[in-house]
Amino acid sequence: MAQTVLLPAGAPFGADQISALNSVFSTSTAEQRAWLSGFLAGVQAANAPQQAVPAAPPKARAPLTILFGTESGNAEALAARTRKAAAKLGFAVKLVDMADTTPERMAEVPNLLLIASTWGEGDPPQRAVDFFDLLMADDAPRFHRTRFAVLALGDRAYAQYCEIGRRIDERLAALGGTRIVDRIECDLDFEAPAGTWIDAALDQISQEAGETAAEDTSVIHVDFARPVADMATESWTRTRPFEAEITEHVRLTGSRSLSDTRHIELSLQGSGIAYEPGDAIGVVPRNDPALVGAVLRAAGLDGDTALRAALRDRYDITTLTAKQIEDHAILTGTPRQTPEWAAGRQVIDLLETAPHRFTADQLTGLLRPLPPRYYSIASSRKAVGEEAHLLVAGVRYETHGRQRAGVASIDIDEQRKTGDRLSVFLRPNPHFRLPAEPARPVIMIGPGTGVAPFRGFLQEREATGAPGKNWLVFGHRNYLHDFLYQLEWQDWIKDGLLTRLDVAFSRDQPDKRYVQHALWDARRELHAWVSDGAAIYVCGDAAAMAKDVHDTLIRIFDKPALDQLRRDGRYLRDVY
Amino acid sequence: MSDIRPLSANERIKENSRFLRGTIAEGLTVPQTGALADDDQQLTKFHGIYLQDDRDLRAERGRQRMEKAFIFMARLRVPSGILTPAQYLAADKMARERGNGTLRFTTRQTIQFHGIIKSNLRPLIQGLHTEMLDTIAACGDVNRNVCASVDPWRRAGHAAVTKLAGAIATHLLPRSRAWHEIWIGEERVSGGVEEDEPIYGRTYLPRKFKIGVALPPHNDVDVFAQDLSFVAIEQRGKIAGYDVIVGGGMGMTHGEPETYPRAGNVIGFCKPEDVIDVAEHVVTMQRDHGDRSNRKQARLKYTIDRIGLDTFVAGLNERLKTRLQPAKGFKFESTGDRLGWAEDETGLHHVTLFIENGRVAGNARDGLREIAGLDTGRFIITANQNLVIADIPAQAKTEVAALLKQYGLDRQAGGLRRNAVACVALPTCGLALAESERYLPSLIARLEVELEVLGLDEEDITIRMTGCPNGCARPYMSEIGLVGRSPGLYNLYLGGAHDGSRLSKLHARDVDDEAIVASLKPIFAAYATDRKAGESFGDFVIRAGFVARTIAGLDFHENLAPALRN
Repeated sequence: MAQTVLLPAGAPFGADQISALNSVFSTSTAEQRAWLSGFLAGVQAANAPQQAVPAAPPKARAPLTILFGTESGNAEALAARTRKAAAKLGFAVKLVDMADTTPERMAEVPNLLLIASTWGEGDPPQRAVDFFDLLMADDAPRFHRTRFAVLALGDRAYAQYCEIGRRIDERLAALGGTRIVDRIECDLDFEAPAGTWIDAALDQISQEAGETAAEDTSVIHVDFARPVADMATESWTRTRPFEAEITEHVRLTGSRSLSDTRHIELSLQGSGIAYEPGDAIGVVPRNDPALVGAVLRAAGLDGDTALRAALRDRYDITTLTAKQIEDHAILTGTPRQTPEWAAGRQVIDLLETAPHRFTADQLTGLLRPLPPRYYSIASSRKAVGEEAHLLVAGVRYETHGRQRAGVASIDIDEQRKTGDRLSVFLRPNPHFRLPAEPARPVIMIGPGTGVAPFRGFLQEREATGAPGKNWLVFGHRNYLHDFLYQLEWQDWIKDGLLTRLDVAFSRDQPDKRYVQHALWDARRELHAWVSDGAAIYVCGDAAAMAKDVHDTLIRIFDKPALDQLRRDGRYLRDVY
Repeated sequence: MSDIRPLSANERIKENSRFLRGTIAEGLTVPQTGALADDDQQLTKFHGIYLQDDRDLRAERGRQRMEKAFIFMARLRVPSGILTPAQYLAADKMARERGNGTLRFTTRQTIQFHGIIKSNLRPLIQGLHTEMLDTIAACGDVNRNVCASVDPWRRAGHAAVTKLAGAIATHLLPRSRAWHEIWIGEERVSGGVEEDEPIYGRTYLPRKFKIGVALPPHNDVDVFAQDLSFVAIEQRGKIAGYDVIVGGGMGMTHGEPETYPRAGNVIGFCKPEDVIDVAEHVVTMQRDHGDRSNRKQARLKYTIDRIGLDTFVAGLNERLKTRLQPAKGFKFESTGDRLGWAEDETGLHHVTLFIENGRVAGNARDGLREIAGLDTGRFIITANQNLVIADIPAQAKTEVAALLKQYGLDRQAGGLRRNAVACVALPTCGLALAESERYLPSLIARLEVELEVLGLDEEDITIRMTGCPNGCARPYMSEIGLVGRSPGLYNLYLGGAHDGSRLSKLHARDVDDEAIVASLKPIFAAYATDRKAGESFGDFVIRAGFVARTIAGLDFHENLAPALRN
């Protein structure tokens, strides 16, 4: 059933206009509405500069290079928005991915704005590794002609918070670069501070470049927390998610499985969300009501119903950061807990160390905003239409005598059911796509829920009739209880779509067997496939699996060869 | 005569299998399914391996987008049920590492491993093979595991019957090297002559074939339920030869009266040195005369009833080097095991352990592993699913006894429970219509309450249950037999002989737990008050008129109570 779209009575149109628009909308398809949305945004964007650009534009536009290193796409998205803002200010902007350049080339750039994220335990994003290593090398180029500023993205939950941005910032200065403004380090709620910082940085560069009038008051403030809807796919965001109906919600793992993995089907009807296989869906979760209650009790704020709702929907009440420990010690006047103590502990543990009556503001001031969780989409629109399928593994574990639950996974798996709605938005993953050439063979390594995007890949290749060979390497704990989508792989093998399948189940025998063991056993065939042009994809756990797979691939292909595959876009990873 | 009927599908599979190879080896490497190709599922039986699935999980699998939870059962070939401690340890290790963690002693004196996923089959069989164990012909249309009485305290007699059972097993073992190639990785000799099966031929037997050797008065191997049995005839302390019994068999199909269990016929006597020849030619008679079109009429028992016993014996005698002599006659006393310790004339000790339903798990499993670790004696599985630890030197007895106590293995059981046998049935057996192993213990608990009130709790009464009518636990040879009809419902049979010499008769159809107890309660009460001295329960129910006596397989379905006639 198509959803009827009606303009609200308060829309800024006359009654006749509203009626006319409604008559169009009510008979339109979602595709038509998505197109219209994009069209209007385009018209808007095309007209905007004339209104926004200062009356006397600079004679020669100042050059500005925005360089980003991205893993999850946040740095890239931020860079894209910065470019737009800079262009409106009259800069001649270039947007460059660290994956596509070298320090040598960047050293030629007069104005450089860097946006760098830190990944895992203080690592650069995978695709930025080469750039980072060259920059840190002894023979790195001098940057004395370059004026620069660094925006570091990170996550306070990790010890090496914003490590990569910090090291790049220090390195550029050491190599002779001139810092325009001080580095900013941003946590998960980066939008507002990043926006302010970018405004300031652009303003400073403008002034120093002397190309725009210092007294110019028409600097556009870019509200990064509310990006413009310039594309239909970007119209839904973390703060303005699409409410997608759950149309199917089934447990895929057996009743005796050690894990609880669900197959979720979401209806995207009316959203205009046009994902590609490889993309992720951001889910805005709700906290476990029981944990919300415990946090409120620990803070002495049990009776505050408004706060209860806010904690459930808007604040991160699990992840514990060093800053929170420090703030909490100051607020309560108690000794600061050590990092060793904090390992494996959460906000509730911190609150329970010192009985204290907080005010609602004190408590929310202590908490970070609730971050969305991202799930690789396990479907192709060409196969399933206006749906997105997700594979969600419920995260449950115990630390320090307390049961812990993954916020989004347990919310989705246990609190939601078919017919409920889930707040979602699209997060494109342009660096994890099927090869442009339909005939290119692909090797997909996806144990556990890491197999999700590959189901999407196979659906896409089936729907498009892509002739390339497909090889899937899957792994989990038990063959009998954890063989996700087993019947679908069987059908695709029968149809000839899935050329080869290898499996590794770790708990079925005395010696643990993982996907890297299956890869090693198949090393000769891997060489043959890669010689035939195959691209290798890895999706899933970053901490152990992706590293072990990486090491095994180095053993099989050797490091230079694997690096070359990566640079050629034939070794792609989506790990988390 | 338009008597040419098409061969059954299994005959074609065997014919095309290249002596039992099929495409099993290829199928083992296919990762996307836990099963094997349909034809290969028939062929693996000849290698002692059944494809099954966990039926407890069937309902949920469809929703989970996974195929059935396919698992394999592997059955050892252990003539006479005798294992060394090292062999037992290998079996225990493989059960824990590659199976579902349990061992299952069977009514054919062997061990079954359950819950083996496909990728663990080869490692399991190779692990067993390191201790010279194999699973060849433990299932399939061949001679299965050869049974022999377990009376190790009768040293000479036991040695003779087990040696004979081993010789029969070896003589009737398929010659094909398929098992070694597929499971152990033996290379095929290139250019070598393709093997032949001099006894079986390319298509083996029409159906399974079972052989037992008994040492009277112990009929633990149920000689009348086997296709072929040899009953030792002792004269002046030596075994003079064997009476030969042919045509026993248990399987039938509900609602098909042309299928029936049958007690074997005593057809003569042979000298020890002629036993192998007799065994071979009873097998070749069945090979040549058995029904290869209808597998439900293919066992030797139907062959004999079809061509007539006299014709069969005459045909057999023509093939034998030495014709059978008239039977000497023998006397059996019981089919059950005598639990506890026994000492033989040489001063060695033997202990018979009650293993309920033959399922070795948990504490009992750990205890048996510890005892096997002492590397003393022999482990002998009985046809009643129990275990005898035999040949324990006097100096080791105390240590073994202490371990038995520590692990609860010296547990005693009442007269009904210690004479109970159940097949595996749910959740692994594909044939099961109802529970068996998982249900019988609780039913016995209910019956024990009734027996105790009547003072019958120490009476030896045999009770056997199967989840389907195929009869793995030999329920039609039991004083009380329960055969699954559908979930929770059983047919109740009564009147089998305590010594295993007479079939039973249907007493009640489609009875549930409540009705089984209600049916048996008044019969127990009558037995308590009206039995004659020494009269067994099976004999009593016939004399008291609860059921008619079954004389032969062909009247098994006759003479039912009026209410049970269709």
